Amino acid sequence: MAEPSIQSRLGLAPGTPPLVSLRGVGKVFPGVIANADVDLDVFPGEIHALLGENGAGKSTLMNILTGIYQPDEGEIIVGGRAVSFASPVDAIAAGIGMVHQHFKLVRAFTVAENIHLGWSETPRRISRAALEARTAELSSRLGLAVNPAARVAELSTGEQQRVEILRVLARKARVLILDEPTAVLTPAEARELFAALRAFVAEGNAVIFISHKLDEVLEIAHRVTILRQGRKVATDWTEACTEKSLAQQMVGREIVLSDMRGTDIGRIGAPVLALEGVSLMSEGVTLLKNVSLELRAGEILGIAGVAGNGQRELTQVMTGLAVPTTGRVWLEGADVTRAGARRIAAQGVGHIPEDRLHAGMAPALSITDNAVLREYAKPPLSLGPLFRPWRATRLAREIAAAAEVMVPSFEMPARNLSGGNQQRLVARREMRIASKVLVAAYPSRGLDVGAINTMMRYFTELRDAGVAVVLVSEELEELLTLADRIAVMFHGEIMGVVPAEGADIEAIGLMMGGRHAA
Amino acid sequence: MSYRLQRLPVAKPSVAFAARIASVVLALLTAGLVLKLVGMEPLALAGRVLKSTFGSSFGLEDLALLFTPLLYCGLAVAVALRIGAWNIGAEGQFNLGAFAAAGIALFVPGPDWAQLPAMAVTGALAGAAWILVPTLARAYAGVSELITTLLLNFVALLLVYWVSTGPWLDPSGHALATTARLPVSVPEFWGIVHWGLPVAVILAVGLAAVFAFTRWGYEVRIGGSNPGAARYAGMPVRRHLIAVMLLSGAIAGLGGMMEVAGTVGRLQGGISNNYGYLGIMVAVLARAAPLGTIATAFLMATILNGGIILQTQGLTTHTVLALTGLILLYAAIGDEAAKYRIVKLAKGA
Ligand SMILES: Nc1ncnc2c1ncn2[C@@H]1O[C@H](COP(=O)(O)OP(=O)(O)OP(=O)(O)O)[C@@H](O)[C@H]1O
Ligand SMILES: [Mg+2]
Repeated sequence: MAEPSIQSRLGLAPGTPPLVSLRGVGKVFPGVIANADVDLDVFPGEIHALLGENGAGKSTLMNILTGIYQPDEGEIIVGGRAVSFASPVDAIAAGIGMVHQHFKLVRAFTVAENIHLGWSETPRRISRAALEARTAELSSRLGLAVNPAARVAELSTGEQQRVEILRVLARKARVLILDEPTAVLTPAEARELFAALRAFVAEGNAVIFISHKLDEVLEIAHRVTILRQGRKVATDWTEACTEKSLAQQMVGREIVLSDMRGTDIGRIGAPVLALEGVSLMSEGVTLLKNVSLELRAGEILGIAGVAGNGQRELTQVMTGLAVPTTGRVWLEGADVTRAGARRIAAQGVGHIPEDRLHAGMAPALSITDNAVLREYAKPPLSLGPLFRPWRATRLAREIAAAAEVMVPSFEMPARNLSGGNQQRLVARREMRIASKVLVAAYPSRGLDVGAINTMMRYFTELRDAGVAVVLVSEELEELLTLADRIAVMFHGEIMGVVPAEGADIEAIGLMMGGRHAA
Repeated sequence: MSYRLQRLPVAKPSVAFAARIASVVLALLTAGLVLKLVGMEPLALAGRVLKSTFGSSFGLEDLALLFTPLLYCGLAVAVALRIGAWNIGAEGQFNLGAFAAAGIALFVPGPDWAQLPAMAVTGALAGAAWILVPTLARAYAGVSELITTLLLNFVALLLVYWVSTGPWLDPSGHALATTARLPVSVPEFWGIVHWGLPVAVILAVGLAAVFAFTRWGYEVRIGGSNPGAARYAGMPVRRHLIAVMLLSGAIAGLGGMMEVAGTVGRLQGGISNNYGYLGIMVAVLARAAPLGTIATAFLMATILNGGIILQTQGLTTHTVLALTGLILLYAAIGDEAAKYRIVKLAKGA
C-alpha cells in the first residue's frame, strides 16, 4: 500500500499545494557554508519544527525566507511561483512573517506604536487614542492579550513576544516563523503560546518553529526538519520520532547523556560566598528582600522561580554589579559588598549573565575583543599598560576551541555568530576565570542538546574541583538533576532552601507561587 | 521585473572603497556641469586647480597649512567618537586654545624655548577646560553633549572677537581687528609650513597605537561599543568617558595654539575658520580611525584649497561653498550606499 500523502495526513484536500516551499537553497558567508541545498515544504494547517545544532543554519535559512538575506542558490516558491524578497516588508506582503531570536521592537515606543510601525495599513494621520483602539481591536480579534498603551521597555519578555507575534499576524501573515520562541518564556507563557499557535494553524495557516527543546518539538509540531552543518538531513513526522532519534540525527552520532549526580558526599567544603540580610531597592521598588544565602565550595546551588522575581538582581549583587541597599556580601570571609565587579571577578568569580547581548558582550566588536573581556588586563595579554592584540587572538582561539565554536575569522563582529555560539563563548570565558564561584543565569538558553549536556558536565567538573556554582534556571528538571540544594525565589525573597535529593516538586511549585517553606 | 534596494548587514570593504571613488568622480562631474552652466570652462579650471595645488611648492605649502588644523580637529572629533561621544565643539575648543596660547605669548614674558611648550600646554588645557562642563554634564547627569558642546562654540567665537578687537587689540594702531604679532612662533621646517603639521601626524599615529596597543584603548573600545558590557567587566566607564572627552578638547585646543602661533601669527576673530565643524566630517569619513583621519583631512584640505583657487578665478564664495558641500554630500551618500545592493525581483512582490 502506498504511504498516505502529506496532505491527507494533515487532513487537507488531495493536491493542496504548500503555502511556501524552498528548493535547493544555499547561502555562504565568508568561511562558512550556512546553508546548502535545502528543500522545505510547509503546508496549510501544519506546525513545522526546524532542528539543528548551534550554527547549523536555522536562523540563516529563515532570514532568507523572510528577505533579510538573499539566497546564493535555489529559490523560494509561494503560491506556485518563484519569488524573491528584497526585504522583510516584501516577505510579509507575501504572507510570511518572523519573530526573531533577539526581538526587534523599538523599546522606547508603546505597544500600539510598535504594531503600526512600517505598516502600509497604518493611516497617515492618526491620534494616539485611535492607534491604541486599533491595537486593542487587533489584540482581541487575534486572541493575543496586550496593553496597547504600555511602553515596550516595561514589558516582560513574554509580553514583548506577544507584541512581536501580534505585529506579524496583524499584517495577515499565513506563515509565522518563530526563532527559539520558548527559550525566554516561563512554562506557563509557553503553554499560552502553544494554544495560540494551534488556533492559528487550525485556520489553514502554518507555523515554522525553531527550538532546541526536543520534548516541545514532539509535543507541538506535526513534522520536523533537521539541519546539520547547513544541509537538510531529514524531514519526519514527529509521531515517528523520539527525543533520542532527533538528537542522534542532529549530531550524526549517538549522544551519551552523562550522569550528573555528585559522586562523593564529603566533597562539600567551607563557605565561599555568603549574602547576609541583603535587600535591594530601586526607585521605591523592593527588588531583593532580606536575602541570606550561604554557598559552600564544591556545591551547586540552584535558584528556582519564575523569571523576573529578583534572580537578575541576585546575580548582580553576587558579582558586584549592584550594591545592596542593606546587608553584606562576603567572599571567603572578606567583605566585598562594595568591592565592585572588577575586584570580585579578579578573585575568581565568573558570571554568565542573563542577557548576554546587552550585558556580557559588545556585539559590534570583534570576536577576539569579546573573548578576552575577562583576561585582557592580565599577562600575557597585557604587560603593564600595554595590550598585545596578537596574544588576545591566541587566547580567543583557545576559548573558541574549548567552546567548540567554529570561527572563520576572529576579526568578525561577534554579532555574526549564531545565537547559541555566542552563549557558548561567553560561558567558556566565564568558566575559565571561575576559580571560586560561578554565577550562571539561564546558561542553557539557546544551546542545543549536546551543548547543554557538555556545559552541565563542565559545571559538575567545576563543582568537583571545589568551585561553588550558582545555577539560576527555570527548568526544574535541570535543577533537580544538577543542584545539591535549591533556593526558591518569589518577589525578591527566598521562600526556602531545600535539598535537591528527594525534593518535593509540589512544595517547590507552591514556593514559586509565594508560599513560604513549611 | 522590478528592482529594489536591499540593505546589507555589513558593507563589503571592496564595495565601500569603490563607492568612495565613484562618489568623488560623480561629485567632480556634477561640479563640472554646474560650472559649465554658469559659463565657465570646467576642464581648464580643473587643470588650473591641480596645477596651482600640486604643481608648485607654494601650492603644496598652502595645502599643508589647511591640512594641519583639519587634522587636529578631525582627531579631536574621532577620539570622542571612540567612546561614543559627539564633540561638536571642536570649533570652540580650537578658539580657546588659540586664545590662551596668544595670552601666554603676549603677556607672559619668557625665553623662547620655554614659551612655546608653555603655550602648547596652555592651549591644550584651555581646549580641555572648554569641554569640561559638557563632559561632566554627560558623565554625571546624562545630558547630551551634542547641544552643550555646540552652544559653547558661539561663546568661544565671540570671546575671541571681543578680545582681539577690544582689550588685546594691537596697540600699534596698524591693525583694526587683531592682536599684535605674537613675539614667538612655531618654527617652520619647509617654506611656510611649521612644525604643527608633523606634530599632528605624530599625534595621529600615537593615538592609533594607544587605541590598539594599550589596555586603556581596549577599555575605551568596549565602553564606547557597549557600556553595559564594560560595567559588567568592571571597567570605570565614567572615568574613561571623562578622560576621552577632555583629551578630545585638548587636541582641538592644541590645534588652535598651532594655528595662532604657527600659521596666523596673531589672534583674530574667526581664526577657527570652521575647521571644528569640518573636523566632524573628517572624523566621520575616517570612521573615527586616527590613521584614516590623516587621509580624510588631506582630502578635505584639497577640496578647501581648490575652492580658494577657484575664488581667484572669479567664482563667487557661494559657488565655491556649494561645490565643497556637494563633494562632501556625495562622499557621505557613497559611504551609505555601499551598505546597499540592488536586487532584481522576479515579480512585483
Ligand atoms: N552575517 C553573518 N556573517 C558571517 N557569518 C554568519 C552570519 N550570520 C550567520 N553566520 C554563520 O552562519 C552559521 C549559521 O548560523 P545560524 O545563525 O543560522 O545558526 P543557527 O542554526 O540559528 O544556530 P543557533 O542554534 O546557535 O541559533 C554560523 O556559523 C554563523 O556564524
Ligand atoms: Mg539561531
